[in-house]
Amino acid sequence: MQASSGMLTKFESKSSRAKGIAFHPKRPWILVSLHSSTIQLWDYRMGTLIDRFEEHDGPVRGVDFHKTQPLFVSGGDDYKIKVWSYQTRRCLFTLNGHLDYVRTVFFHHELPWIVSASDDQTIRIWNWQNRSLLCTMTGHNHYAMCAQFHPKEDLVVSASLDQSVRVWDISGLRKKHSAPTSMSFEDQVARANANQTDMFGNTDAVVKFVLEGHDRGVNWVAFHPTMPLIVSAGDDRLIKLWRMSETKAWEVDTCRGHFQNAGGCLFHPHQDLILSAGEDKTIRVWDLNKRTAVHTFKRENDRFWVIAAHPEINLFAAGHDNGVMVFKLERERPASAVYQNSLFYITKDKCVKSYDFQKGVESPTLLSLKKLGSPWVPPRTVSYNPAERSVLVTSPAEGGTYELVNLPRDGSGAIEPTESKRGQGNSAIFVARNRFAVLNTSTQTVDIKDLTNNTTRSFKPPVGTSDIYFGGTGNLLIITPTAVHLYDIQQKKTTAELAVNGVKYVVWSNDGLYAALLSKHNVTIVTKTLEQVSTLHETIRIKSATWDDAGVLLYSTLNHVKYTLLNGDNGIVRTLDQTVYLVRVKGRNVYCLDRAAKPRILQIDPTEYRFKLSLVKRNYEEMLNIIQNSSLVGQSIISYLQKKGYPEIALQFVQDPATRFELAIECGNLEVAVDVAKQLDRPKLWTRLSAEALAHGNHSIVEMCYQKLKNFDKLSFLYLTTGDNAKLARMAKIAEHRGDFTSRFQNALYLGEVEDRIQMFKEIDLYPLAFATAKAHGLEEECQSILEATGLTEDQLNLPTFGQPLTPPKPVVPTHEANWPTKATSQSVFEMALLGQVEGLSLEDEPAAAKADGEEDGAAREGALAEDEDEDGTGWDMGDDIVPEVEEGFVNVESADAGGAGSSEADLWARNSPLAVDHVAGGSFETAMQLLNRQVGAVNFAPLKPRFLEIYQASKTYLPASAGLPPLVNYVRRTIEESDPRKVLPIIPRDLEYLASNDLQRGYDAMKANKLEDGLQIFRSILHSVLINAVGSDSEVNEARKLISSASEYTVAMSIELARRALGAPNTVNADPALQKRSLELSAYFTIPKIEVPHRQLALLNAMKLALTSKNYNSALSFANRILANGGAAKILENVSFSPPITLINKHHQARRTKAQCERNPNDAVEIEFDQFAEFEICAASHTPIYSGTAHEECAFDGSKYHSKYKGTVCVVCGVCEVGKHGSGLKLFA
Amino acid sequence: MDPYSAEGELINIHNHFHQGQFPEVIDFDTSSLSPENALPARVLQLRARIALGQADDVLADIQGETDAHPELAAVAALAELALGRADEAAEKVEKLVQSDAAGENATVQVLGGTVLQAAGKSEEALALLGKHQGSLDAVALIVQIHLQQNRNDLAVKEVAAARRWAQDSLLVNLAESWVGLRLGGEKYQQAFYVFEELAQAPATSSVRTLVSQAVAELHLGRTEEAQAALEQALKKEPEHADAIANLLVLNAITGKDITELTSSLQKTDAEHPLLTDLAEKSDLFDKAATKYKAKVAAA
Repeated sequence: MQASSGMLTKFESKSSRAKGIAFHPKRPWILVSLHSSTIQLWDYRMGTLIDRFEEHDGPVRGVDFHKTQPLFVSGGDDYKIKVWSYQTRRCLFTLNGHLDYVRTVFFHHELPWIVSASDDQTIRIWNWQNRSLLCTMTGHNHYAMCAQFHPKEDLVVSASLDQSVRVWDISGLRKKHSAPTSMSFEDQVARANANQTDMFGNTDAVVKFVLEGHDRGVNWVAFHPTMPLIVSAGDDRLIKLWRMSETKAWEVDTCRGHFQNAGGCLFHPHQDLILSAGEDKTIRVWDLNKRTAVHTFKRENDRFWVIAAHPEINLFAAGHDNGVMVFKLERERPASAVYQNSLFYITKDKCVKSYDFQKGVESPTLLSLKKLGSPWVPPRTVSYNPAERSVLVTSPAEGGTYELVNLPRDGSGAIEPTESKRGQGNSAIFVARNRFAVLNTSTQTVDIKDLTNNTTRSFKPPVGTSDIYFGGTGNLLIITPTAVHLYDIQQKKTTAELAVNGVKYVVWSNDGLYAALLSKHNVTIVTKTLEQVSTLHETIRIKSATWDDAGVLLYSTLNHVKYTLLNGDNGIVRTLDQTVYLVRVKGRNVYCLDRAAKPRILQIDPTEYRFKLSLVKRNYEEMLNIIQNSSLVGQSIISYLQKKGYPEIALQFVQDPATRFELAIECGNLEVAVDVAKQLDRPKLWTRLSAEALAHGNHSIVEMCYQKLKNFDKLSFLYLTTGDNAKLARMAKIAEHRGDFTSRFQNALYLGEVEDRIQMFKEIDLYPLAFATAKAHGLEEECQSILEATGLTEDQLNLPTFGQPLTPPKPVVPTHEANWPTKATSQSVFEMALLGQVEGLSLEDEPAAAKADGEEDGAAREGALAEDEDEDGTGWDMGDDIVPEVEEGFVNVESADAGGAGSSEADLWARNSPLAVDHVAGGSFETAMQLLNRQVGAVNFAPLKPRFLEIYQASKTYLPASAGLPPLVNYVRRTIEESDPRKVLPIIPRDLEYLASNDLQRGYDAMKANKLEDGLQIFRSILHSVLINAVGSDSEVNEARKLISSASEYTVAMSIELARRALGAPNTVNADPALQKRSLELSAYFTIPKIEVPHRQLALLNAMKLALTSKNYNSALSFANRILANGGAAKILENVSFSPPITLINKHHQARRTKAQCERNPNDAVEIEFDQFAEFEICAASHTPIYSGTAHEECAFDGSKYHSKYKGTVCVVCGVCEVGKHGSGLKLFA
Repeated sequence: MDPYSAEGELINIHNHFHQGQFPEVIDFDTSSLSPENALPARVLQLRARIALGQADDVLADIQGETDAHPELAAVAALAELALGRADEAAEKVEKLVQSDAAGENATVQVLGGTVLQAAGKSEEALALLGKHQGSLDAVALIVQIHLQQNRNDLAVKEVAAARRWAQDSLLVNLAESWVGLRLGGEKYQQAFYVFEELAQAPATSSVRTLVSQAVAELHLGRTEEAQAALEQALKKEPEHADAIANLLVLNAITGKDITELTSSLQKTDAEHPLLTDLAEKSDLFDKAATKYKAKVAAA
C-alpha cells in the first residue's frame, strides 16, 4: 500500500471541529460548518476567510451551496434549517419542523428542494421557494445520519444508525409538485386525492430498497454520479459498496481498512475511486473496481469527520477535529518536455504523445507507459533526448522510480515499450546526449548513468537536495529547500550557489542563457552562471512558465498568464478560466497543456510586452512598427512609459490633451505643448508653458504665453530683456490705455522715456516725483513748469542730491528677432523614426527575413533559372537555356562480398567492392586500374590522376589522439549506418548528384557564354569523375549513363567548333576556298551532336549565319528550318514564360527572314560535305561524318564514334580509353 | 590514492592535458600540490610544452636532472622525438627501461611507449606499456597503438577492460571514442557525443577537442557541422596541422578546391601523414599507370 505520497494539500484552516463542508461549484470557495455554531466561507485559493455566519445555536452539521443561486443552506443542533444569501450576507429564512439535531442538508440539483436528515429519525424534503415542508419520510428507527438526492433520478438515499441504508423513490413527489401542463379532470382528481396518505402517512416518497449489511450504525451514504452504485460508511469501520437495478439492490463488496468509525465516504467524480474519511485519522482511497486500497493519508492528531468532493475540478475537502483541509489526490500537471517544434507529454491514461507546434497536430500515441508505477499514480516528469529519441520518465510510485524508454519512429496506437531501463530515483533528467542524472532523495545521492543504465559516476549533492534540473552542458541545477546550486558534474563540485527558497521548477530560455526558477509565489530569473537577474513575487500560485524567443518570460498563475522582462517589469497578458501549464510561446499563440493533458492554444496579445522589451532594448524600429500596427493605447502603457522616463514616447500614444500637455512639458516638446495649450486655453497651462519655454530660452513662446495670460509686467520685462523697444513702446501705449500707471511707469522706465514719466506723475498729481524726475534728468524747463503749476518755488523744496540719471541700456543685438539658443529638445531617434527622418529604417526587412529557409532555397533556385534566361546568350547573343532536371535521392550502396578482419579498413574496401572507385579510395590504385582496363579498356591513366588523388584524399580523417604520436587515421564511409566490416564502403566525393547539379551546370554555362575551352575541360572532368564513381541503384546507373553520353556529346560538339575557330580569322578563312569549305562543314557538323536543344539552336544559328554569309542559301535554309522546327516556339516560350524572350523572338524572326530569303534562291555557292537529309554521326577524331551503315569504332566508356582507322588509339573525348577495345562495361553499382 | 582519480589533486591538470588544453596545463598552479605530486605535475607541464613545440627549452630545463629522475629522462627522450630524432629517442628509452625500477615507473612507461611507437617499434612499445599498474594513460596509449596497427579487436578489449575499473574517466571515454570512430555505425554517434561535450563546454574546449568533434561529424556525414567546428578550431589556432588536414579532407569530400589548403598544410607541417601518404600514392599512381598504354600511339 502506498503511503501518503500523491496527496497534495492545497489549503488548511485552523478552527474547531468541522462537521460539514461544501464546495462552491464555480468559485474557489468552501463552506465549513463548525461544531462551534459558526459557518465559515473560505477562499481556499487565496487562503482567506471571506465571511462568517453565526446565527445557529450549537453545532452546525450540514451545509450546501446552491448550484446556481447565491444561496446556501445549513442545518444544526438547534433543529433549524437556515437558508442564507452570501451576497447579502444574511440568513434569508429558517425552516422549522425537525424535532431533533439536523445532520445533513442538501439542495436538489434542479428543483427548489432541500433534503434534510435528522436525529428525529425522519428525512424531510422542503421547498425553499415557498418555504414549505413538502414531505416527511419516516421509516428509519434510529437517527437519520445522512440523506442525499440522486444527481439525476428521483431517488433519495439515506443512512441511519439503525444500521440500514434506504433508497427512497420520490417520483410521486415530483409529479405532484411539477408545474401542471395540461391536466385532465381525472388527473386533477387523482392529484387531489394523492395527498391522501397511505396507512403510514406516505405516498409521495416510498421506500424502494432497504440495504442491510452494516453491523453498526451507518454514518454516511452517497450515490455514484453516473452508475447505479451506492457507497456507505459505518461505525462498523467498513465502507460498503452497493449496486441497484430497477427492481433490487444488493451489496457488492466491502472495503476494510479503517480501524475506527468511518464518518464519510464518496465516489470520485471522474475516476473509479472511492474516498472515505474515518475517526482513525485517515483518509483512504480505494479502487472502485478492485475494492483495494490505493492510498492512505494519515493525520497525526485529528479525527476526520466528513469528506466532500468538488463537482468539477479535482479537489477534495475533509473536515477534522481542528479544521478543514482541501487536497488533491494527484498532481494534475502533465509531465511534458519541449524540443524544438515538438512537445512530448504524457496523457492521463499514461500514453506518451507528441504535439507539433508548427502544424498544430497531435501525434497518435507514441508509447504506452501503463506499466510504469502504480495505476493511480501519474508520471511526474519527462525528459526528452532528441539525439536518441528516448524519454526518461519519473514517477513518484514506489518511493520514486524512473524509466528510460526509446520512442518509436512513428507512433501507431498504444505500444508497450519493447525494452526499457528502470531504477529507483526521485528525479531523473538528461544531462548530455548519452548521460542522465538520477537523484535519490532518501540516500541523498546523484548518479550519472549512461544509456545502458550503468552508473558511470556518483556523488553526494548538497544536503537536503530535493530536486535536480538540467544546468547547461555538463552542469546540474541542484535544488535544496533554501538554495539552488549550480553543480559541475565533471569536477564534482558546486560552482555557484544562489539562495532562493522553495524552487519547484526550472525553465531555461530558448537560447540557454537564462533560467527562470519558479517557486510557489516567486519567479527568479538567473543567468546560466546562476547570477540573479530579477525576481518577482505573486500572491497567487505560480504554475508554469515559458520563454518567448525574444527573452520575455511568460508565466501562468492559477488564473492569469503574465509576462516579465529580464529587468523585472511585468504585467498581465490574459486571464485564464482554468489552470494551464505553458509550454511554448510563438507569436500570438501560447501553447499549453490543460489539466486533462490536452494541448491547447491560447491567443494572446504580445504587443504590450514586446513594446516594453523593445523599449528596454531601444529597438526603435520595432517600437515604431508596434505603434503603427496595433492599437496600443491605454493608461497603463502611458504611465509605464512616463514612469520609465520615456515621456516622448508616451506622447505618441496619448489622445487626451491634458495628459498630452503634461507629457509634452515633461519631454520638452514645446510645439506639442503650444498646440495643446491653444486647444485647451487655460491660464494654468499657459503659466506652466511660459515657465518651461523660458527655461528653454524660447522667448517667442514665452511672449505668446504672457500675451495669453495678459501678464503685462512680465511681458514688458521680456521685451526689455530681448531689446524689443517697439513692442515695449506698444506696451506703454497699452498701459496708458488701460490706465495702469504702475505699468506705464515701468514701461517708461524701461524705455528711458523721462518726459513720459514726468507727464504721468503730473497726471496723477504726484508733482514732487515729477519734479524730482525732471530735476534729476536736468530738465529745467519742465521743473519750472511744474513749479509754476504747483505755485511753489525751488527754495521751498528740500531735495536730496541726485546722482547720475538712470538710463536703461540700449539693445546691442536685436535678440527679439529670433529665439535665443534654445535648449535641445529631446527629440528621440524614436520620434525621428516616427517622422520618417531616419534613413534605412525599413519595416519590410522582417517579413523577408522571416521567410522559411526552404522557400528561400526554392526562390534562389528559381532566381538562378530566371537569371539564366536573362543572361541568355551573353556570349552568343542568341539562344536560351534549358536546365535539365536533376534526379535526386541516393540510396546507400550495399555490397555483400566476403572479407576478413585484421587489416586496415582501406584494404577492406577493395575487398568489399568490385567498383574501381572503392579500390581507388582504398589506395589500391593498381587493382583499380586493372578493373578500369577490363571494364572500359582504359589505357591512358594520366588524366585520371587528379580524380584518383581526390578520392583518395577524401577517404581518411586525422584524429588527434595521444600527444606526441601522429594522429589516428580513420576511414570515412558512405555507409554511415553500417558497422559490419564486410559491408563498409568509402565515401565518394563528387557523386553523380553533385556532378549533375554542379559541374554539368557549369558546363552548360560555359557553352552559353561561348567559353568553349573551359567547357571542354569541364565536360572532360565530368567524364573522368563519372568513370570513377559509385551510385546507389540501377536507375542511377542509367542516370550516370545519360550523364556520360551527354558530356561526351558536348565534348565532341565543342571540339568541332574549336577546330573550326582554329582554322583562322573569318577573313583568312573566306579568302581560301578550302578553308572556307572546311569551316562551313565544321559549322554544319557542330549542329549534329545531341546536345540540349537551346544549345543546339546556338549551333544552328551559328551555322545558318555562316552559310548565309557564304551564300550557301540551301544550307542556310535547312538550318533555318531546323531552328524553327526545333524551337517549337510554344515549347520554348513555355520555358521562359515569365521573361519576354526578346532574343528568342529575334532568333525566330531572323530564322524566318532567312528562310524567306533563301527560299527564293535555294542554292549553295560552296559545295560542302554535308547532306542534311542523310543520317550520320561525327568521328570524334577527324570531325568527318560517319554515315549510318558504315563500319566504325567506339570508345567503350563514353560512346564516342570513330572511323575504323582510329582503332587502338586513345579516345580523344575521354582521353583515357582505347578506341575499339571492348570491355565488360563500366560498373558503378554492385 | 591515485592522484589522477576524480578526488585526486592532479585530476584537473591531467584532464587539461588530455583535452589538449596545453596552455592551461602550463599555467596550472602547482604550488599547492603535495610533494609527491609535484613531479608528475611537472612532467605533465613539460609534456605540454613539448606539445606546443618548445622541446628545446624543455631539454635545457631538465638538463642535469635526468639521472636522478627516470621520469625526466623519459621526458628528454620525448623531447628528442619531438625534435625529429626518433632513433636517438628510442635508444634512450631502451636504455632507460633496462633497469627494472625505471621499467616499473608509470611515467616512463607512457613516455617510453610513445617514443617507441613513434619510432616504429610497436611491439616494444606494447611490451613496455603492458607492465602498467592501472595507469589510464598507458591504456589510452595501448588502445591507440592497437588502432594504428589496425587491431581493432584488441583495442575494443582493452577499452572494455579499462571501463570496468575506471568507469567514466575522461581517458576511457576518449579511448572508447577513438575506437568508436574506427568501428563506425552507432559508435560514431557516441563518439561524437563525447567530443562534442568536451568541445562545446568552455571549460574543456580546445582545438584538439574541436577537431575531434569535427572528425566525428565528418564520419557521420554532417559536413556542414564539421566545417563549422573546423573553422572554429582554426580561428583559435590557424596553424593547427590536423585541423587543416581535416578541412582539406572535408573539402575534398564536398568537391571543393583543395589546392590552397594543400599548400597551407605544406607550410605548417610538411611531414603531416596526409602529405607523405599522398606523395607516396602519387608515385604509386605514376608507376602503375606506366603498365598500360594504347596499342596505337596518338596521331
